[in-house]
Parts: sequence; structure tokens; C-alpha cells
Amino acid sequence: MAARYLDERTYETGDIIFAEGDPGSEMFIVSEGHVVITKQVAGRDVFLAAQGRGDFFGEMALLTSSPRHGTCVALVPTRLVAIKSGELLMKLRRDPTFALEMLQQMTRRIGYLEEQMAKLMEQELASRQELATILAKSEYRLRDSPG
Amino acid sequence: MITDVRENRLLVTSDTHVGSLFCDARRGLVRWLDYACAHKYNVCINGDGIEVQYTSLTRFTTETAALLRDIRRLASEITIYYTIGNHDIILEHYLGEWGGLRLVPYLNVSSATKRIRIEHGHLYDTSLMTRPDLRYGLRRFFCFLCRMYPPGFHSYQMYETLRYRYLRRLLGHDRHLLDSPVTRDVSPSFHEAAEDLAQRGFDAVIFGHTHRHGVLPVNGNRARYFNTGSWFDQPHYVVIDNGEVELRPWPS
Repeated sequence: MAARYLDERTYETGDIIFAEGDPGSEMFIVSEGHVVITKQVAGRDVFLAAQGRGDFFGEMALLTSSPRHGTCVALVPTRLVAIKSGELLMKLRRDPTFALEMLQQMTRRIGYLEEQMAKLMEQELASRQELATILAKSEYRLRDSPG
Repeated sequence: MITDVRENRLLVTSDTHVGSLFCDARRGLVRWLDYACAHKYNVCINGDGIEVQYTSLTRFTTETAALLRDIRRLASEITIYYTIGNHDIILEHYLGEWGGLRLVPYLNVSSATKRIRIEHGHLYDTSLMTRPDLRYGLRRFFCFLCRMYPPGFHSYQMYETLRYRYLRRLLGHDRHLLDSPVTRDVSPSFHEAAEDLAQRGFDAVIFGHTHRHGVLPVNGNRARYFNTGSWFDQPHYVVIDNGEVELRPWPS
């Protein structure tokens, strides 16, 4: 069959697809089902994303050869297509719109991260201003104190 | 760029080649658009809606202007997506400026619980992608010959039938593709592309480009490949209605 150069895998509910810190050399496309990605922050699992049919994940580890940034678990019985680096080239050649969809999804993620960064900076600026006001007040009180 | 849309009622056709010297599809296409409007369907013209290769300046300008006037008339009532194909790619800026059409490279349609890919399909035409100059050169020469003898236009389809159906049978290659009219007389690359896309979680893949209409199961019967053929022969269109996808003929 045409697309059978790619590795198809099935997972049951609760199966771990990869764990945070694992070495990763492949990305995944969700052919059927749903997965959830979480990350350990201060000893707690923090939700990062849920991916459904047609979505892809795990490309960071594939593209940068870095360990997995999060843990991925199947939420329901799930079928995934696993793609390694050589297969990715083949996939992009045979299915060029996949490249465009990867770029779109990554651009959306960058947009989301920029928004989060702006919010954090806003919070930090507000807390700095608050701190500066407190410091200025305490300095004023010290200067004006009788001793 | 729009690529992901939610549409519960959508009609899809392709390869109307309005303006072609060898096909007169404009009036039929306008009737089809009126039908969609009357039945509250949005539509997608899935590539090669307008012809720029097999045409003359006079025919191109009169036919295109008339079609685009009708499209602007209907665009206030329904959404008209227009996928760019290989015969109209140089019109992309012009069509975008004209108004009424939502130009898209392809569409990922969510309809009820189904995911449907609509794409013209020329990206999977191996000869067009690997030797475009040769292909365009031959097309121009063929067009010149056809202007002198218009019925000769169908000889190209005969050539493809000989090349794929009989050669495939002779060589014993891809015999499973001989069973369906949608894959019998064309390169296996279109069927392979539909398989690739279906594996990415699409329930239906709709192409045009090959001028061969039909339906074929793909991805182990989990999805279906549709081709809407062309308006040179018997026009066909796909109806998407709350996730149900069906290929229907359009009376020419």
C-alpha cells in the first residue's frame, strides 16, 4: 500500500506514548483518538495540550534531537503514525501540504507563547512598580523619622 | 491563509475550465451555483475552475468576466471557496482582487464528526511537478494542434488510457488500480496521495485534476477517495451534508 512506509501504532487508554526526559527520534500524527501532553512543574503534572485527529506532536524532539519536554498519554484507544527523520523527508516530498500544516501549527504555538510571555511581562512590570512604590514609601518614612 | 473551516453543507466540484476553447461549462456552472444557493449550500470550486491554457484572449475575457459577475452576485448569499489548480495558478492575484471568492490552497473541512480534505491534486501529478517546462511546452503544442482540429482534444485522454490502463495490464503493475475508473487511467500517484492523506486522519479526500470521476476506499476502508472528474465529460460534484459525503452527477 502507498502510505505503508510509515509506522502505524495503536495504544489503549492510559498507555504512555513517551515520558518526559526520554530520548526522542520520532514525531507522531494522530490518525484516530486523542492524547494529552503534560509536564512536571514543581512536582506536579501540568497540562500542556490535548491533541486529536489530524494533529501532530513530538516534532521538537525530532527536529532538535532533544529529550522529550513532556509526557504523552493516550486518552482513548488511539492510532498514531510515527515518523522518523528520513521518513519525514519522504513524507514532505509525497505530501507537501503537511509541511504547510506543520508551519501553521508551529506559528499558532509561537503566537500563543508570545501572548503568554506578554502577560508574564505585564505581571512582572506591575509587581516591579509595586515594589518600587513600597521602597519609595519606606525610604520616605526613614528620611522623615525623628531619629 | 484559510485552510481549516467548519462546513455542514458544502458542494464541491472541479475542473470546469471556464473559458476553454474545448468546453462550454460556464452556464452549467452558474446553474450549479444557483442550485447551491437555492438549497443553502456553500460551495468549493476545487481548482481549474477557469482556463488560461487552452483559450483565446477573447474567449477568456468574455467567459471569465461573465462568470465572475455571477459569482459576485451569489457571494452575498453563500460562501464560495476557490482552490487554486494548475490551469489557473497565474490568476491567483486577479481572482483575489476581483472579490466574491475565498481563495485557498486546499481545505480541511470539519463536518459533523468527519474530517474532509479538499485539494485540486496537481501536486501529485509527477510529470507536472518534475518536468513542468516540458509539460507546458507540450501542452502549448497540443493546444495549437487542437485549435486546428478541436475533436483531437480527446486524444490526450486516449493517450493516458493507453499509457496507464493497457501498459499497467501488460506489465502486471498496480493491477488493483484497474478495477476502479477513478484510478484506472491515471498515474498511481493520486491514489497514493489519497492514501497518505487518509492516514493523517481524514475520512474523505476529494481531488480533481485527473478528469476521472469516481470513489474508492482508502486506508484499509477507513476513508474514501473521491474525484469529481471534469466538466469536459459528464460533470460530477460531491455533496457534504453533516459529515455524509456523496458523489453525484450534474445534468449537463
